[in-house]
Amino acid sequence: MLDDKTIKGLLLRSAARDEGSAVAFERLYKMSAPLLLGVAKRIVQRAELAEEVLHDSFVKIWDAADSFDPLATQPVAWMVAIVRNRAIDTRSCHDVSRVQSYHDDALEDPDGTLDRLFEWAEGADDLEDRRRAADWLRECLTRLQGVERQSLVLAYVQGLSHSELAAHLEKPLGTVKSWVRRGMANLRQCVETCMGIAR
Amino acid sequence: MRLENHRLLDALCGEYIIGTLRGGARRRFERAMRSEPRAALRLRYWESIVSPRYSKMIEAQPSPRVWQRLQRELDLARYRMPWHRRAAFWQGWAVAATAALVFTLAMLFLPRPSETLQTVQIARLSGTDGAISVTADLSRDGRTLVLHASRPVLAGPKQSYELWLIPVAGTGPVPVAVLGSLDATFALATAQLGQLRPGSTLAVSTEPAGGSPTGKPTGAVILAGKITG
Repeated sequence: MLDDKTIKGLLLRSAARDEGSAVAFERLYKMSAPLLLGVAKRIVQRAELAEEVLHDSFVKIWDAADSFDPLATQPVAWMVAIVRNRAIDTRSCHDVSRVQSYHDDALEDPDGTLDRLFEWAEGADDLEDRRRAADWLRECLTRLQGVERQSLVLAYVQGLSHSELAAHLEKPLGTVKSWVRRGMANLRQCVETCMGIAR
Repeated sequence: MRLENHRLLDALCGEYIIGTLRGGARRRFERAMRSEPRAALRLRYWESIVSPRYSKMIEAQPSPRVWQRLQRELDLARYRMPWHRRAAFWQGWAVAATAALVFTLAMLFLPRPSETLQTVQIARLSGTDGAISVTADLSRDGRTLVLHASRPVLAGPKQSYELWLIPVAGTGPVPVAVLGSLDATFALATAQLGQLRPGSTLAVSTEPAGGSPTGKPTGAVILAGKITG
């Protein structure tokens, strides 16, 4: 598991644009590229496209490193968001859906899929509340209605758009849109209840 | 459109995180997050709730080409410590420079070889292939060593030859001189006067320019011979 503290240090050092920046950026790449490539591959489905996404994302990470706010954002999540957005854009220009059919894991074995794709155990450096937040999220995902959970996992992990989801799940666009929206709202509400701040 | 108090702010945050907010809508949302701090705070709150960490099991190794291309396109060489600022370089340089200085001084203060320098051959150094041999002659006062190669051999621009004395006692090679040519005449260091004894070995290794950076042979030993007389 990538250690947020190390990644944060390397990002800040890269942003400094001094004599240590290239070495820090290289370490950042070596540490995080395999995970980020895995994220990209699940969305664009093709190895050469995923490497293109990885390249473009690291150009962005290098350029935007100085706007990364270490107090506000978790660094690994920040990098993952850059890769996912880039991969989603790439996917939409390459009509990936015709190249390879989606994995159906999320439909047939939602719990197994959640555990294969995500790491729920706490990291050594985790604060207590982050560990609990991960537990709650895992718990709340399994409590969602099946269709909501499937929509969220497919959209998040494979980068499917509303219309791709609709085609894949063979449901009207409006229905799928409301599953996604309701799924996210329910997820938030469930986690908030766990946190004890629900309305 | 200001998002801070918009009734759809939560829905948009959710769509943004899950990835279904696309194209122009996503870019407008990102712009709003940069210009509206309260809306950005709401997105952070969402991120603190929904930020699953990917498992190691999804990892894949990128080909080395990706990093090579990044290095080139971002011109990362600009952000590396220049070679002349690195500590390792200066440590190596200090040793090499000292060796070179000793060599230069030896050449400067050397009594010019002349007809009057009486020498006696103490060793013949040869390589494994026998292509070249070097005789080592010691002056009668034991202070000057003269090397004669069977044919002229000059060190390349990035290398030096270094002559070593390997005493019988087995204390390991002791540096004698750094050479640019296998034909050389030089004064022995005070510590080495009287050390070139029969049974000891003289050897020549190839080293980086300026001599061995470590004080021990680091390159190939190209010539060696026992001191006989």
